[in-house]
Amino acid sequence: MTTTMPEVHKSAPTSDKPLRVRRGGGVMSSTGLYIATGVAALLFLVPFYILVRNALSTDAEITGETWKLFPTDIQWGNISELFSDETVPFGQSLWNSAVVATLHTAGILLVCSLAGYGLARIPYKHANKIFYAVLGTLMVPTAVTFVPSFVLVSSLGWVDSYRGLIIPGLFSGFTCFLFRQYFLGFPKELEEAARVDGLGYWGAYWRVVVPNSLNFFAAIATITFIQGWNSFLWPLVIGQDPSAWTVQVALSSYMTNQTVNFHLIFMATAISILPLVFVFLFLQRWLVQGIAQTGIKG
Amino acid sequence: MSTTTARDLARPAPAKASSAKPRRGLRGSATFNFWLFTGPFLIGLAIFVYAPILWSLWLSFFEARFTVTPDKFVGFDNYTYMLTNDDFVGSLGTFTVFAAFIVPTTWAFSLGLALLVNRLRFMRAFFRSVFFLPTACSYVAAALIWKMSIFSGVRFGLMNTVLGWFGIENIAWLADPNPPWYWLVIVSARLWLQSGFYMILFIAALQNIPDELYEAAAIDGAKPGWQTFRYITLPQLRATSTAVVLLLLIAAYQAFDEFFNLLSKTTWGRPPLVELYYKALGESQDYGAGSAGALILTVLICAVTLLQGKIMGFGRGDESK
Amino acid sequence: MSAMSSSNWDRRSVLRAAAGLAALGPLAACGSNNGRGGGSGSGTNLVQYFHAYGEPGTEQAIKRYAKAYKDANVTTQWITSADFESKLFSTLLTDNAPDLFEFHPQIQMVRSGQVADLTDIIDPVKDDFNPADIKSHTVDGKIYGVRMIDDPQFFFYRKSMLEKANVKVPTTLDELMEAAAKLTTPKVKGLYLGNDLHNVINPMIWSAGADTLDDKNEIAYHTDGVIEGLKKMRKLFTSGDLLLGAPTESWDPSSLNQGLCAIQWCGMWAMPQIQDALGDDWGIFPFPKTIDSGKQSVYNGGWSMFVNAKGKNVEAAKEYVKWLWIDQKEYQEDWATSYGFHIPPRTSIAEKATKLKSGNAAEGVMLFNAFGHFDNIGWTQAMITALEDVFANCVRKNMDPEAALDKADTAVNRELKKLFG
Repeated sequence: MTTTMPEVHKSAPTSDKPLRVRRGGGVMSSTGLYIATGVAALLFLVPFYILVRNALSTDAEITGETWKLFPTDIQWGNISELFSDETVPFGQSLWNSAVVATLHTAGILLVCSLAGYGLARIPYKHANKIFYAVLGTLMVPTAVTFVPSFVLVSSLGWVDSYRGLIIPGLFSGFTCFLFRQYFLGFPKELEEAARVDGLGYWGAYWRVVVPNSLNFFAAIATITFIQGWNSFLWPLVIGQDPSAWTVQVALSSYMTNQTVNFHLIFMATAISILPLVFVFLFLQRWLVQGIAQTGIKG
Repeated sequence: MSTTTARDLARPAPAKASSAKPRRGLRGSATFNFWLFTGPFLIGLAIFVYAPILWSLWLSFFEARFTVTPDKFVGFDNYTYMLTNDDFVGSLGTFTVFAAFIVPTTWAFSLGLALLVNRLRFMRAFFRSVFFLPTACSYVAAALIWKMSIFSGVRFGLMNTVLGWFGIENIAWLADPNPPWYWLVIVSARLWLQSGFYMILFIAALQNIPDELYEAAAIDGAKPGWQTFRYITLPQLRATSTAVVLLLLIAAYQAFDEFFNLLSKTTWGRPPLVELYYKALGESQDYGAGSAGALILTVLICAVTLLQGKIMGFGRGDESK
Repeated sequence: MSAMSSSNWDRRSVLRAAAGLAALGPLAACGSNNGRGGGSGSGTNLVQYFHAYGEPGTEQAIKRYAKAYKDANVTTQWITSADFESKLFSTLLTDNAPDLFEFHPQIQMVRSGQVADLTDIIDPVKDDFNPADIKSHTVDGKIYGVRMIDDPQFFFYRKSMLEKANVKVPTTLDELMEAAAKLTTPKVKGLYLGNDLHNVINPMIWSAGADTLDDKNEIAYHTDGVIEGLKKMRKLFTSGDLLLGAPTESWDPSSLNQGLCAIQWCGMWAMPQIQDALGDDWGIFPFPKTIDSGKQSVYNGGWSMFVNAKGKNVEAAKEYVKWLWIDQKEYQEDWATSYGFHIPPRTSIAEKATKLKSGNAAEGVMLFNAFGHFDNIGWTQAMITALEDVFANCVRKNMDPEAALDKADTAVNRELKKLFG
C-alpha cells in the first residue's frame, strides 16, 4: 500500500521516516526533551490508570479513606459480574456497537467519498452551489434537528433496528467536505491517463483513484469508526429495547442507575474503551500518513 | 509542415471518440456522472439533514409545545422570546469566553506535543500513541472518570487526595461555582480528549516541511531553536493551523456532552447548545422556541465562520478551483 | 411494517437502492427486534416505560406482574433515570410511543392531550385512595393518573455522630446550620443536600410558610420568609459544612452509608439499604422551620401510571392499569414494600403493610401524614426549572434573592399564562 504512494504524492511521509537531526538540539537537550515528554505522557495516562485501578477494586477500596495505589486483591471477578448482569445486556451491546460502527464506517466511506469526488472533479455548473449547501449543514447544531430527525426516522419504522442506527448518520457534510478537499489535491494526470485508456469517471474512480488513496480512506475510517462507536444520544432514543442498545447506552445505564456500583461502572467503561484502543494501535500509522495527505491542510 | 502537425495532434481525438462512442451516451456525460457520484449522498442529505432543518424552521414560527405538528402560528414571537432571554444571550457570552480560551490553548498544547514527539529519537511511536489514545475515549467515559474519580469533591477524589497531602481542604470542584474551578475540570477533560488528534495533524504537517528549508536557514545563520521555529516552522504550518483553528471553533461551538454530563443543573457554564436543551428542548418540550434559538445560533456561526475565513484565508483555495 | 403506507415504502426503497445499501437489508432486519413479540397470552401488545429504580429486584418484579396478566402481552422498558424524560418525551411524539408510562402529574401533559382520562377506572375505588393523591391527579374533575407509590423525602442522620458531637435533632434551619458546623470534621461533612441542592427547594419554601402556587394558581413562593430562607441557604452553602461534589446524588444513600456526611436529605425508599449498611445507627427528621413562624415539612413525591392518549391501544392499556394498579392489591403491596420502602396510596393496603409499622419506617409514615406536601399538578417542568435557577443563582452563586425571584416570576408567569390564560 505504502509503496504505491510516493508515485502519487510528492511527500508521503511515514511515521518511521529517518530523523532530521538538524531540527533538534539548541533549545532543549535530549534528556530535557525526554523528561518533558515523559511527564506529559504520565499525565495523559493518569485517567487510564484510574480506570484500571477502579475497575479491579471493590467499592470499599475505591471509596476508602486513604488512596490505594492499586487494589490489594485484584478483583477479576468484576469482569464476570459485568457480563452476567441480566438487566444490562453488556455483551450484546458490544456486538451491536461493533456492527453499527463497522457498517457506519463502510457506508460513510462509500457515500461520502463518491460525493466528495463528484464535487471536486466532475464539472457541473451548479457544483459550487451544491458544495455550499453541503458545507452549510456543518453550521447547524445537531441537537436542534434531533427531535424532527427522530420523528422522521421513527415514521419510517426504523426504531430498534440497525438501519435506524446507521443510515441517518451516513450523510455527513463534514466527511464529504474532507473527501472533496482531498480529491482536489489528487493528481489529475493519473485520472487523465485512465480516461485515455477508455475508462469513464466511474471506472477511473474505482480503478485508479481509490487504490491510490487507501491511506486517506484508512484515516477517515479510523475517525469515523471512533465516532460511530462513541455516539450516544442517537442510539439512546433509537435503541428502545435493550437488545438494540449500543455500548455507550449500556454504559450510561450503569452511571445513572439509582444506586451506583463504582466497580461495575469503571469495569464497563474500561471494556468499552478496549476495542478502540486496539483499533487505534493498529491503524494509527495509516492515520498519520493519511492525514498528511488530506485537504485538512486548508 | 503545419498541416501534418495539426493532423498528428488531431488524430488521437477521433480515434478515442470512435472507440468510446458505442458505450458512451449517458455514461460519458459529465452531468450524469456528477449526479451518479453525488446523488446518493445528496438524496440522503435532503431526507435526513435538510428535511429536519426545514421542519425546525417551520416549527420556529409556531407555538409548538409538546408537539412537533403544531397549528398555532405565532410569527416571530419565538425569536423575540429567545433574543430577549438573558440566559440565552448570556450563553453566547459563555461560548465566546470558552472559545477564546479553549481554541488557542488546545492549539498551543497540541502543537507543543507535536514538536516534542517529532523530535524524539527513541520510543517515538510509543509516546505518540500515549498522546493519541485519549481520542478513543467517549465524552461519556471521560465525564465519568473526571466526575467520579479525579475531580470528585470528596476525600477519595484523586485531586483532593493529592491536595490533602499538602494539608489543603477538599474542594468541591464542580458543585461550587466560586471560585469557578469547574472550568479547570471542563478544560482539562477537553484537552485530554482532543489534543492527541490535533497533535497528529501537526505531526503530519511538520513532516511535510522540506528539509531544504532548514538547511538553507542554517546556511543563512539562523540559530536552531526559537529562530528556526519562528521563521521556518510556524509559517510552514500556517495552512494546518488555520484548519485546526476552524475545526476547534466548530468543536467549541458544538460543545455539549461534557458540559451536560459534568455540570448538571447549573445556571453558569452553559454554552448555547446546553442552554437550548434546558430552555426549550429537553424536559420543557418547547420545540418552537428551541428551533428559533437554534436558527439564531446557525446564522451567528455562519457569520463567524465567513469572517474567520476572510481573515485567515481558509477556503480561498476552493473558489479558484 | 405492513402498516406503513405505500408512499413510505416507495421512498424507502428508492433511498435504499440509490444509496447502494440494499445489501444491508437482511442485516437490518435482524436488528428490528422491537421487543414486542413473545410472552404468554394472546392478542394485544402493550409497551410500558419505567425509570430505573435503584433497588435490586424492582425490574424483575415489574416484569413478573406483567407476565401474570393474561389479556395482553406487556413489554417493559427499563430506562435509566437520567435519560428517562428525554427518551419518554421524544418517543411520545412518534408511533413508537409507549402505551403506558410512569411519570409525575403535570398539567401540560393533560392540556396537550398526551395522557388519557382514567376517571372511569379510578372512580369506583376513589375513596380508598389518599385524597391528596386523587387531588394531585385531577384536572377539571377528571382523574388522569393512578398513583402507584408515595415517596416521602426527609433528613436521615447518624445517631452516633450526633451524640458524639452533642447535637440535638434540629427543628429550625438555624439549628440545622449549627448542627452541620458542629458535625463537620476533616473526614466527615455535617450535611448533604445533594450536589445541586434542588431537592430541598420545595421543603424550604413550605417550611417558610409559603407554597409554590396558591389555590388560584398564582405565584405563592415570593415571600419575605422564602427570601430569608434563601439567605440562610447561601450561608450554609458557603460555610464549608456541606458535602459538595459527592459522586452520588442525594437520592442515593451512599454518602451517608459511606460516612461522608452525618446528615443527608434522602427518601423513604432508601431505608432498607441504610438499615443494611448502618444497622440501627440512624434516624429521620423533617425539613426544619425555615423561619420561626413556619412549619416543618416533608416532600411527598412519588410515581404514577399514565396511559398514552394517542397510543394505538388506549382501552387495552387502561384495562392493564386497572388490573395491576387497582385490582391486584397483592402486587401493589409487594411493589411498595418488598424492595425500597414506599407508602401505598391505597388506605386498605397501607393499613396492612406490616413492614411500615415499626421503627424508622413507622416514623416515616408519621412524618408523611403530619408534615407532608404533595405535588401540585399545576406546577410544571418549566416552573420547576425556574426555581432551580433561583437556587443556582442566589444560593450557589451570590445573586440577590429578590432579583433572582423576580426573574423566576417572569418565567413562571409566562407559563401560567399559557396554561391558565
